[in-house]
Amino acid sequence: MVLFAAMASAVFGAMAKDTTQERWLYGLKVFAEFIVIGLVLSWILYFIPW
Amino acid sequence: MVKTERLAAERTEPTPGSAWLIGIIAWFIPGSGHLLLKKWGRAAVMGGVIWACFFIGVAMGGHMFDLSTGQGSSVWLQVPPMIANLGSGALYIISWLLGIGFADDPQQAARATYEYGNTFLLIAGLLNYLTMLDAFDIAAGRHS
Repeated sequence: MVLFAAMASAVFGAMAKDTTQERWLYGLKVFAEFIVIGLVLSWILYFIPW
Repeated sequence: MVKTERLAAERTEPTPGSAWLIGIIAWFIPGSGHLLLKKWGRAAVMGGVIWACFFIGVAMGGHMFDLSTGQGSSVWLQVPPMIANLGSGALYIISWLLGIGFADDPQQAARATYEYGNTFLLIAGLLNYLTMLDAFDIAAGRHS
């Protein structure tokens, strides 16, 4: 999941925004979102019995 | 450029033919569109990620989709993931010609990394569609 998040956010970061700093920040933000949402969904699904 | 200015510019300026060519080349060989546009950093990051995603997917034993219905499902269910896989361009076509990653092998499907591999292969194709559109937009002068 971390590898997937890193790769996808690298592409999103490279495509978006105008300056290098903005791209880094956007990429890191997308990476954090992937990880946080992935973990939250995992715990929700863990408690669902079907 | 604000959205209204951009839309006005798009209405008056036709898309150059070279942009379509760059788009096709960018789809066929991931990263090549940005290389042709001399966007070295983006070519390395975006192209590198797509190639890495694809080979990681294959190494994990992922399955690529075509119109065959070997898994007993409708042909229409194969179309959406096939479109995603097709985004990998030459990587998909060469794998299809060589028969790599297309077999319905129960032993392969039983691997713990099988589904992860599928996901990496699908994402490689989808990210290449994004990369292709980015290269097209740069070639058409819609962004830098």
